[in-house]
Amino acid sequence: MDPMYIQPELIVIITAFAVLGMEIFLPSRHRIMQTPIALLGLASSLAAVIHLMMQGDGDFLNGQFRFDAVAGWFKISFLLAGFLTVLLSADLLNGRYKSIAGQDRTLIHRGEFYTVILFNLAGSMFLISATNLINLYVCLELATIPLFLLVAWRRHDPLSIEAGLKYIILGATSSGALLFGIGLLYGLSGSVDLFAIGDHLEFGPATRLAIALIVVGVGFKLTLVPFHMWAADVYRGAPLPVAAYLSVASKAAGLAFMFQLFYRVLGNVLLDVGLALAVLAAVTMTLGNVVAVVQSNIKRFMAFSAISQAGYLIMGFLGRDGAPSMVYYMLVYVVTNMVVFGVIVFYMNETGREEIEDYRGLARTNPLISLAMMLGLFSLAGIPPLSGFVGKFFLFSVASKAGFHWLVVVAAVNSTISLYYYLRIVRQMYIEPGVEGDTAIRPSGSIVTAIAIATVLMIVLGIVPFFYETIYQQSHNWIASSH
Amino acid sequence: MSWLSLLILIPFATALAVVATPDSKWYARRWIALVGTGIVLALSLVMSVDYMQAVQERGNINSLATISQMEYEQSVPWFASMGIDYHIGVDGIAMAMIVLTAIIIFTGVLASWEVKDRSREFYAFLLVLVTGVFGVFISVDLFLFFVFYEVAVLPMYLLIGVWGTGRKEYSAMKLTLMLMVGSAFVLVGILALYHAAGSQTFDLNKLATVDYSKDLQQWVFPCVFVGFGVLGALFPFHTWSPDGHASAPTAVSMLHAGVLMKLGGYGVLRVAVYLMPDGAKEWALFFLILTTINIVYGAYAAIKQTDLKYFTAYSSVSHCGFVLFGICSLNLMGFKGAVIQMFSHGIMTGLFFGLIGMVYGRSKTRDLTKMGGLSKRIPWLAVCFYIGGLASLGLPGLSGFVAESTVFLGGFFGNAWIDPSTMRICTLLATSSIVVTAVYVLRGLSRVFQGEITNPEFEKLQDAKLPEKLCTAILVASLVIVGMYPPVLIDLIEHAIVPIANRF
Repeated sequence: MDPMYIQPELIVIITAFAVLGMEIFLPSRHRIMQTPIALLGLASSLAAVIHLMMQGDGDFLNGQFRFDAVAGWFKISFLLAGFLTVLLSADLLNGRYKSIAGQDRTLIHRGEFYTVILFNLAGSMFLISATNLINLYVCLELATIPLFLLVAWRRHDPLSIEAGLKYIILGATSSGALLFGIGLLYGLSGSVDLFAIGDHLEFGPATRLAIALIVVGVGFKLTLVPFHMWAADVYRGAPLPVAAYLSVASKAAGLAFMFQLFYRVLGNVLLDVGLALAVLAAVTMTLGNVVAVVQSNIKRFMAFSAISQAGYLIMGFLGRDGAPSMVYYMLVYVVTNMVVFGVIVFYMNETGREEIEDYRGLARTNPLISLAMMLGLFSLAGIPPLSGFVGKFFLFSVASKAGFHWLVVVAAVNSTISLYYYLRIVRQMYIEPGVEGDTAIRPSGSIVTAIAIATVLMIVLGIVPFFYETIYQQSHNWIASSH
Repeated sequence: MSWLSLLILIPFATALAVVATPDSKWYARRWIALVGTGIVLALSLVMSVDYMQAVQERGNINSLATISQMEYEQSVPWFASMGIDYHIGVDGIAMAMIVLTAIIIFTGVLASWEVKDRSREFYAFLLVLVTGVFGVFISVDLFLFFVFYEVAVLPMYLLIGVWGTGRKEYSAMKLTLMLMVGSAFVLVGILALYHAAGSQTFDLNKLATVDYSKDLQQWVFPCVFVGFGVLGALFPFHTWSPDGHASAPTAVSMLHAGVLMKLGGYGVLRVAVYLMPDGAKEWALFFLILTTINIVYGAYAAIKQTDLKYFTAYSSVSHCGFVLFGICSLNLMGFKGAVIQMFSHGIMTGLFFGLIGMVYGRSKTRDLTKMGGLSKRIPWLAVCFYIGGLASLGLPGLSGFVAESTVFLGGFFGNAWIDPSTMRICTLLATSSIVVTAVYVLRGLSRVFQGEITNPEFEKLQDAKLPEKLCTAILVASLVIVGMYPPVLIDLIEHAIVPIANRF
């Protein structure tokens, strides 16, 4: 047992308790210090992950968990999402926002807010390292339950409560399905060890049922159609930074879970369910895209955009060599979505506007922020040379290699549909005349930092080959070692 | 580093310089843009001369070669695990297109000398777009090709949407979406070829050494042909073109009709026909008929137009049909004609749209029926317009004649995969469009420029200013040079076309 591989998670948990302690013991005027502490904790955890990735693979907690390269990349995605969310939520926690109709939108209890996010992160980070079914499930719950809290954080706001309730009921149901599927796997193989199950598993009707139930459970987290119903309402009702976090962290956790099960356990049978996965991907991206076209509220719009992105994402499961493409796209998706959400949070905070047509004229008042938004939207739509294009191209390539040419056609045409609705926002920002009397808005430092970090990463990931190449090399070893 | 990279670095750096210029010095932006594109123009001319010398030094090219010989090659691994390289190089076809692009963007900047409204974004987007176009022409790697292809298409949305006229939002969206659906099909085709060739490389010339199965070519060829064909205004996917051109601001129309539509023909020749000869043989007849409709339909539609821009846009549809028609005849002469037509039509239509912008800027109307007698007040513009019109109807001595006659010869030679009588009927129909072209060009021009001045407002019009004179003079000179001495262009492209023709 090598204790150092638990470092990243440990740092996150310690930070969580430190922030919680400050909430209890410090007078409220000093609690503003919690933000830098949380950021510091996340940054050092990120540094620890990168450091460990250079050391190589290793087990921790008696082999219950395993740190390897793919786990490392997932942890980087989680931590980035957490770091950017903390930055994005700073304004609302500080009470810097424009109140509409006297509505109080301050996020209360700074310390608890951070603690819950940090616990959630720790859950996700353990999740991708778990090596047996029970830990895997427990970690997934830890990566889910704090989200229920976060969604319902504004407990006097009926929309927020409604969202929380919807989320918890559907989430619990999907967990049930998931647990059933995991139970079946255990029953079929007689083992909870992820590495051992695959060897004992035979492909039969029961295995199919297990896979189906697991897909239902994870489909909820990943917002695969038809398990996507919660997304729009929850995004709409949740506080905006939480919606941003939800759109990336929840999805990354779902993907991590699928990675663990599909590659480690079901690697041998993955290709047999290829057609079903392809259909699922096609339906998810098409429905997400088509419904997004008619949205007028930007939060609901982003929910459907996120649904369609999940459809592209699971195309990677169509081939055994899809792992690097998915890990890479996950990373790309996290930063890209954070760019867009960063701008949405900024605009909502400063002006209280959240309808798509409210963005009109933004390019005249805030050209740089509009540029970031436009690049982010283009990256989501898959326009080169931004990283969103490169990621999609690699995912499409996996499907093409597996012979699913029709799916590539569907996906590519879907990208065009998505371009249509992303361009709707660009049109509002660049073409439509602005609202009378709008002047340049000075964004807060934290928002600018978040948008700048995410934008730079989004561009760099697509142009500098280092990231993809490293992921590719490492995940090849990973697939070889997991089966 | 290869000199070629400069072709994309300079426009991009110019775009950055334009962005960095403070608002108080907006007039500096056009000078920056002019200097940047001027350098590119000079560079492209020097390179094409240098290319010619390199080709002559190499002596007679192997007449049986089936792989294009690239010059100025440079290859740097990019996404190495996928076999994606930053691999650039040019052959004669690409070189000709680069010169064309450089001429059009330089004159385009001159033609948009008076853009003041949000000039920062205007010049920046225009230069980014041109970066993409140059990128396409220098790419040897198909991934890189595709990246630049989309970079070239997308800024169009904003350029038309913000600075356009008429139903600009509608046109911009229609254009962008249609072209993007086209590029989606190209993407599917590229990926299928890549995996069929063993998932090792996106290098065009390496992919060309692979024999793809007939079944694969059977479906990938139409995918890629139609994908690029959308941009080349292939009937019935041309509908974005009249709306788009009519709504776009002057420089953008010039660039779009002059250069971007050529990307379509270029892609068809370079990717579809070059990589999939069997697919081409199979589908040649089908696309030949479509392109014949293109030519004839475009010409007849132009007769009915009363808006000068729609008039030119439909004539572009017809003329771009010649490009694809030449390609569909699948022989050396046809390919040659197609490339010459790309160049010739690029210059011609650039001249047209430039002039329309200048006339519109003065008369404030593009309606043919409301104009008349303008040549009395703006003789310079009128003369240039007539020269462009005569080139368009194929008057010997101007480039249009060289291009079209070569295309028709190619059509008459035909090939082994299309029934000769069908081929000749199609060629005859296409030839007949020349007559129709003469009708609409002469009728349209006489309405605008001849007769009495109908509107007293027109009495006050001023003739071309210096930037405008320079702009039109360069374009007219290019038409005349290619028309009077075609070898200047044919020698440049010949060596690049032989390997493609040898595949049939």
